[in-house]
Amino acid sequence: MSEHFNSEVWTEKYRPKKFEDMVGQEEIIKRVKSLTNSMNIPHLLFAGPAGTGKSTLALIIVKQLFGESWRENYLELNASDERGIDVVRQKVKDFARTKALGDVPFKVIFLDEADALTREAQQALRRTMENYTSTCRFVMSCNYSSKILDPIQSRAVVFRFQLLEKKDIKKRIDLIAESEGLSISADAFDALYEASEGDCRRVINLLQATASISPNLTPDLVNTIVSKAKPSDIKIVLDYALSGDFVNSRTKLLDIMLKESISGQDVIKAIQKEVWNLPIDNALKVRLTEKTGEAEFRLVEGADEFIQLEALIAAFIMAGLGGDKGDLKGGE
Amino acid sequence: MDNVPWCEKYRAQCFEDVKGQELAVDKVKVFLKMFPKKKAVALHGPPGVGKTSLAYAIASEMDAEILELNASDLRNKAKIGEIVGNASRQKSLFKKNKIILVDEVDGIASVKDRGGLGELLGLLEKSAFPVIITANDIWNKKFSMLRRKAELVQMKEIDHKVVSAILNDVCEKENVVVSNEVLTSIAIKARGDIRAALNDLQVLSKMDSPELVSEVGDRNKEQSIFTALQHVFQTSKIDEDMLRVYDEVNMPIDDVFLWIEENIPLAYKGEELCKAIEALSLADVFRGRIRRQRHWRFMVYEYFLLGAGVAGVKDYDRSGWVQYKKPSRILKIWLQNQRAAKKKTICQKYAKHCHISTKTAMKDFLLLKVILQRNEIRNTLKLSDDEVAYLDKPISN
Repeated sequence: MSEHFNSEVWTEKYRPKKFEDMVGQEEIIKRVKSLTNSMNIPHLLFAGPAGTGKSTLALIIVKQLFGESWRENYLELNASDERGIDVVRQKVKDFARTKALGDVPFKVIFLDEADALTREAQQALRRTMENYTSTCRFVMSCNYSSKILDPIQSRAVVFRFQLLEKKDIKKRIDLIAESEGLSISADAFDALYEASEGDCRRVINLLQATASISPNLTPDLVNTIVSKAKPSDIKIVLDYALSGDFVNSRTKLLDIMLKESISGQDVIKAIQKEVWNLPIDNALKVRLTEKTGEAEFRLVEGADEFIQLEALIAAFIMAGLGGDKGDLKGGE
Repeated sequence: MDNVPWCEKYRAQCFEDVKGQELAVDKVKVFLKMFPKKKAVALHGPPGVGKTSLAYAIASEMDAEILELNASDLRNKAKIGEIVGNASRQKSLFKKNKIILVDEVDGIASVKDRGGLGELLGLLEKSAFPVIITANDIWNKKFSMLRRKAELVQMKEIDHKVVSAILNDVCEKENVVVSNEVLTSIAIKARGDIRAALNDLQVLSKMDSPELVSEVGDRNKEQSIFTALQHVFQTSKIDEDMLRVYDEVNMPIDDVFLWIEENIPLAYKGEELCKAIEALSLADVFRGRIRRQRHWRFMVYEYFLLGAGVAGVKDYDRSGWVQYKKPSRILKIWLQNQRAAKKKTICQKYAKHCHISTKTAMKDFLLLKVILQRNEIRNTLKLSDDEVAYLDKPISN
């Protein structure tokens, strides 16, 4: 074991530093590289799933553009963490006020998870982009470009990132394994890949967590870590609901949401996936999926997402009652 | 999770256990000695002072079986006649003593349940066993006859020192550590209502932060929402009163939502519960639209759904006195945030280091915990001692 073993967070330690180091997304990289080499980039929008290289590419661009002084000319903002567009605007303003250092006539602002901004915030952002266009370039990332306003999309060059293929992820894993002195069996790699759903950041995190137990990775070891990191099962919430127990169902749901910091949207997503595994007939699955969709819609329209989730629980209870006039008891 | 409310779990088992009501206990003992000179004893007083508990204590002291009637059982003459008539005439099969407990007679509406009240009076004449009646307001006009037939035993609000002592006792049994200051504060705020005090204590015990007592609201202010809830949850008729049911409520609409949400399961079951939640959900959609679009006219629908919508799911009136609960969700969220404050600061540091959002880091926290075992990484992220301690706690968050 080298003395550097686990001395850093691997997702950072092994983040590609040059265009050539990146895996997958060949077309995108080729085009972005030539844009960067011309020393004048347009606004960029990177759309695609998590862990496919969006942030990495943004970082490589600024390092190529600014060399050693990249930190002075680069501002990273995360839209889902900044509490409002006003914060974003103020930070952009402060950053854009001073001229870029060095040869490049602009600075770069990386706005991560831009789809977390509301429509109104995006409108405001559009103005900001226009106002500072002579001194700043925006690189934005998002999961779904459909959530980004058209006027913003039309001001940027859009690149669509694909999920990384298994062989691409294997390349990175092999590199890390060699450097850290790990032995990873083929089965163990499969287990890692399965659990990551093609998210390279997650694969590396799982790898590091597993390697912290032993440098010889086996599928069992990987699965131990995976199950440790697995969020609580939303199924238990549904089980309570189907058995008619509203109070326990909602208590459990709140518990899970609070302890694991997951949003109402995440819960809906999990429920929607879980419905097909429930021991109920197909017609009911269809109805409940429709109810789940309705709940997601109301979640977006309403004010209190937990109330909307409770309404979904109620829909499951009705399903459990057979949807007809079930047990009608009065107040206690 | 322990779901039994402490006020049930620690109900008095014998006269000894009925704390702070010595005078009432003595009067009851006299009544039992004199029985059957008077057939019934009416325990009356505000909620949560131990009326039902005292009734159960009497039963266990006499080694008697309790035959309990709720106000909702007293809906009609036939039913009460059937249940109570048989019970009081026949001797118990096992020659066990019997006590008839008619709980919460306030719930008997004077008009609609006149038969029920009349039958109850008749029962007092015939009964071969002591009848215990509990009431909040025995001086109500409709009880004038009852007052003559029954021995009246007043139960006063319990002194806060006694409440405090009871809370202390429960804390010991539950193995919960709560400072005396906090206990006293709960006791005073409960205004003599031991049930409310135990409920508050139970909520508080699930949190670590004693400064939270201020969260345990002043019960006086809650009176207006109680009245509104009672109307919505118990009345089936949608009339002018129902449309204006929240007019007198002295709290923001968002709080009303929480009160309704908390108490729907207390008021409704089964299909009614589902429909009531549905009405609440639709009201919330209008609330969201008002917020986003500033379209204030939607308030009409918001209030309508919260009132008539939630009330209209039942087709007959309910009676009985229900102890509605304070909303607990916001408190739980606040608490979790307090507890997870360290988790958040750790994730912020990690997120900055790794170019991801804090939210993403929070979601991955279980995995991060494993990765963050290494001291080198902790140093890289410049974690504070507190944060390190949080990571090392065996069962955190």
